[in-house]
Amino acid sequence: MIEVVGLSKQYGSICALDNVNLKIDRGEFVFLVGPSGAGKSTLIKLLVCEEQPSSGKILVADRNITKLTPKELPYYRRKVGVVFQDFKLLPQKTVWENVAFALEVCDAAQTEIDSKVPKILDLVGMLKRRNNLPHELSGGERQRVSIARALIHYPKILIADEPTGNLDPVNAWEIVDLLERINRLGTTVIFATHNKGIVDRLKKRVVLMKNGKIVSDRLKGGYAL
Amino acid sequence: MRIESANRIIKLGLTNFWRNRWLSFAATLIMTLTLLIISTFAILSLVINKTTDIIRERMDISVYFQDSASNEQIVNLQRQLAARNDVKTVEYVSKDEALERFKNQQQGKKVAQFINPEENPLPRSLDIKSTAAESLESINQFINQDQFKPIIQNISYQDNKTIIDRLIAITSFIREIGWLMSGAFVLISILVIMNTIRLTIFTRKDEIEIMRLVGANDAFVRTPFVIEGLLYGVLATILAMSFVWMGVAILAPRMEQYLGIGISQQMVSFFAGHFWLMLFLELVVGVSIGIVCSLISVRKHLKF
Repeated sequence: MIEVVGLSKQYGSICALDNVNLKIDRGEFVFLVGPSGAGKSTLIKLLVCEEQPSSGKILVADRNITKLTPKELPYYRRKVGVVFQDFKLLPQKTVWENVAFALEVCDAAQTEIDSKVPKILDLVGMLKRRNNLPHELSGGERQRVSIARALIHYPKILIADEPTGNLDPVNAWEIVDLLERINRLGTTVIFATHNKGIVDRLKKRVVLMKNGKIVSDRLKGGYAL
Repeated sequence: MRIESANRIIKLGLTNFWRNRWLSFAATLIMTLTLLIISTFAILSLVINKTTDIIRERMDISVYFQDSASNEQIVNLQRQLAARNDVKTVEYVSKDEALERFKNQQQGKKVAQFINPEENPLPRSLDIKSTAAESLESINQFINQDQFKPIIQNISYQDNKTIIDRLIAITSFIREIGWLMSGAFVLISILVIMNTIRLTIFTRKDEIEIMRLVGANDAFVRTPFVIEGLLYGVLATILAMSFVWMGVAILAPRMEQYLGIGISQQMVSFFAGHFWLMLFLELVVGVSIGIVCSLISVRKHLKF
């Protein structure tokens, strides 16, 4: 599904990623852990084509995404859902509108929006709050909306960059539970986190990064720096 | 693209315009000023041009002869002039006719009584009208040949020429100033509009980032800003045309009072006759500045 080959990213004299090699299969759930500055965020930025690598390639479904043209890029992004620590919801739009927005900007028909949005909101458990504005929601609820938006194109891959970073433990667990459920439905999930408790409890594959390199990659691993 | 999407994009553009209405207002105003200056100078230079043409057309050459010149010599010159393609009419004015005209001009004035047919100091002359104002110069050169010099006392063309030349100089001066001012204001409005769009982009950074992350088409991100730029152009055109219209309506009667030589008439008829052309040109200039500025700022800030 995803194959990272010899990936390096240089910011001036700083080496954020140093010859990273990684293979993730379809339907896997992978934790990406490591201290700040280890290169997790850089790797995610490269995975969603927000930046170009200095060298190396990323194959997604056997296509090198570092060579995508500006025209192809939006279509790739629809296949990859992204969730952030700070939710990135539009404050003046309701829950429904925030999710619908992702379809609107992709030239979707109104009928498609009307049928997809409630299904996704139901999946993340936010259908009853569809008319609320983001500031009327708790952090956990906001993250659910953000996950709903990331899932609206039925992506094959969901990338979550510290999705629980701003949440209290109860809300964090709810989000982890949701992401696991989404993974069971067949979506590949890449979960970057600092949260030791979550990583240790879930017993999934753990990729540990340090100083721009992958230092360990264990199945059913725990959080060990 | 679906009609639904087009509607969404247009709505987004209008919302942007309204949400940043003070910025939009400033951009529109600068664009209005630019269009206003361009059209004012265009009208001014065209009106003066037209007036110069009219004066030039009315102008003819009069050749005054020495009393010593024989009738044959005058008739000879008249025939040669009449044979030229660029001469419309050549009219001979005898001493008596000259006196008649003089008396008509000086009616009631004492000086007219001192001149009588026996002691008539007024010279005979030829009144030459040309087919085109441009050929006056070559006719003038033709008369100025050495062979005619002995019989000619005076040629009236030279006197008028200075006035015409001055008028032409003023026109070209105004036109140059106009170009300069128009250029400066086009530049200013480009900078202001680019800045405005850039600020709009900045205030909507999050929205644009999300759009891009969820896979929005380039068109969906870019077009609302283009619509915004287009809106500046359209609104500025409407404003500028109304100001020009008001200016013509208010200024024309006043100019008539001071200048009274039909310039204001020219202006009104020019404005009325070229209203749609002016509207079209202003729209073209305004809208293209708006759209180009939007595209440049969007390209610069959205990494396309």
